[in-house]
Amino acid sequence: MNCTVREIKILAEGFYYLSLEPDKPVGVITPGQFMMLQVSASTDPLLRRPMSVADFEPDGSRFGFVIQVTGRGTRLLASLAPGGIVDVLGPFGAGFTMPGNGSRLWIVAGGTGVAPFIGMAHQLKELDNIILFLGARSNRFLLYKDFFLKAGVKVMTATEDGSEGYRGVVTGLIKSKLENGAQPETMFTCGPSPMMKAVAEIAVDRGISCYASLESQMACGFGACLGCVTKIAGEKRYTTVCGKGPVFDVTEVTI
Amino acid sequence: MSKDINLSNTVAGIELKNPVLAASGTFGYGLLYEKFFDVSLLGGFVTKGLSLKPKAGNPAPRICETPSGMLNAIGLQNIGFDKFAGQKLPKLAKIDTSVIVNFFGDTIDEYVAMAERLDDTAGVHGLEMNISCPNVEKGGAAFGKDLKTTEKVVSACRDVTSKPLIVKLTPDVADIAEFARVCQARGADGISVINTVPGMAIDIRSRKPVLANITGGLSGPAIKPIAVRMVWQCYEAVNIPIFGIGGISSAEDIVEFALAGASAVQIGTMNFIDPSICVKLIDDLKVLLKELGADATGGAGGAGGYRELIGAAHKK
Repeated sequence: MNCTVREIKILAEGFYYLSLEPDKPVGVITPGQFMMLQVSASTDPLLRRPMSVADFEPDGSRFGFVIQVTGRGTRLLASLAPGGIVDVLGPFGAGFTMPGNGSRLWIVAGGTGVAPFIGMAHQLKELDNIILFLGARSNRFLLYKDFFLKAGVKVMTATEDGSEGYRGVVTGLIKSKLENGAQPETMFTCGPSPMMKAVAEIAVDRGISCYASLESQMACGFGACLGCVTKIAGEKRYTTVCGKGPVFDVTEVTI
Repeated sequence: MSKDINLSNTVAGIELKNPVLAASGTFGYGLLYEKFFDVSLLGGFVTKGLSLKPKAGNPAPRICETPSGMLNAIGLQNIGFDKFAGQKLPKLAKIDTSVIVNFFGDTIDEYVAMAERLDDTAGVHGLEMNISCPNVEKGGAAFGKDLKTTEKVVSACRDVTSKPLIVKLTPDVADIAEFARVCQARGADGISVINTVPGMAIDIRSRKPVLANITGGLSGPAIKPIAVRMVWQCYEAVNIPIFGIGGISSAEDIVEFALAGASAVQIGTMNFIDPSICVKLIDDLKVLLKELGADATGGAGGAGGYRELIGAAHKK
């Protein structure tokens, strides 16, 4: 489907926000779902880029993405201008199951991993029991911190250079909170694989249910290429990230 | 209004509404694409490579993008014959198009066992023998790169099935025409040319191969000239029909394969990028054939415009 670029802006060096309006609304979107964005009308780069949906209209008449420039494809997306056309497939995959009202939820996000939680914050009515742990190299890359604060989410930050909040990786901050006696019922995480792996280990150790939105190289996004697999925990089989995920209960897969 | 070009043809004993099929490994078991378009509009489709027992496939990363192409090392992950026959095939019966099952084994006996079962299974219109997958240790290209083994496995499967038997060839051989001749001599009804081209990519930061399997199969528009050349060579060598495969992304590409000698074509990697590309190509092909004047001898029931083009570039 053809989408028109309605907004594109730089969030931090190498990070962009892109908002698209499709020809026809795509219907209900669940935070954690993704779309496949075509980056070139030619065959080079060939593959679409999977992007987690950030904010969105309830009827799917507009949706946004947080894009980090990591190569040629994402650079082309970042160079789009308002009014430009992008061919998009989706939404695909299984997103996060929304927490019940009042449930103590910790969200752990790094880099573009904030994306699904932007849509979630828009949707949730009660945010009092949610803490967002935001990690980055430096305070410039604490994406959407002000947005979450304004939405009423409690935000705790960790930066590797110590420019804001806890000095070190975000999982260090979480560990120190847990050692002080705080304990959530559920954890959601999205971001770099090492971070999600560490979050999953922490959660499993303490019997906290934990859901992670995995990232994977994928050619199609709808289950045909079998490229984006992750190993099923305790088995010698794989499951597709695009179809069964991208959001998984961390006890079910190997991150 | 001008009369629609008749694209139907019987290729390797399989009735095709048109010469556009979806290639194995890019189309699942056919059902995934129903949400994108009416799959019955296709000439046919070839299912994901199937073995007797389910196969888990290779660890990730399994794919990697390359200039106008991609590398894959899926490792023939599949649900196995029983689950396919029990769960997928009954649903495929409702789709009015030709279903070709791609199959493989680790041993010749396993190839034969699969051919026997598929021969017995209603709803399977043709068999595509995969002796060309570059991403598995046994079977696959390990068989397809050896002339004697190719001869043996084609003969053995031919003995147990009267259904159309197509052999999918690897480009990773010195002379593909030799393999085409052996397939013809041993009774194959057709050949599929080509499977992916072995390749690899290395991550310059980690200094490690990108794919967990180290090497993979290159597909997509990048391999089209290799495929056209090999279809050409096979057409010179044999009389059995050729399914042309390799980087097709436009109706122009289809015509090029036809001129080289392809009686039908299979669309592979491009299904990932545009899941309804096959139907678009069928429509585009009709327009292009008219534009090229290739519909002059066409018409309902007569020789189709496409058929007139098959191997036409070989005419001196």
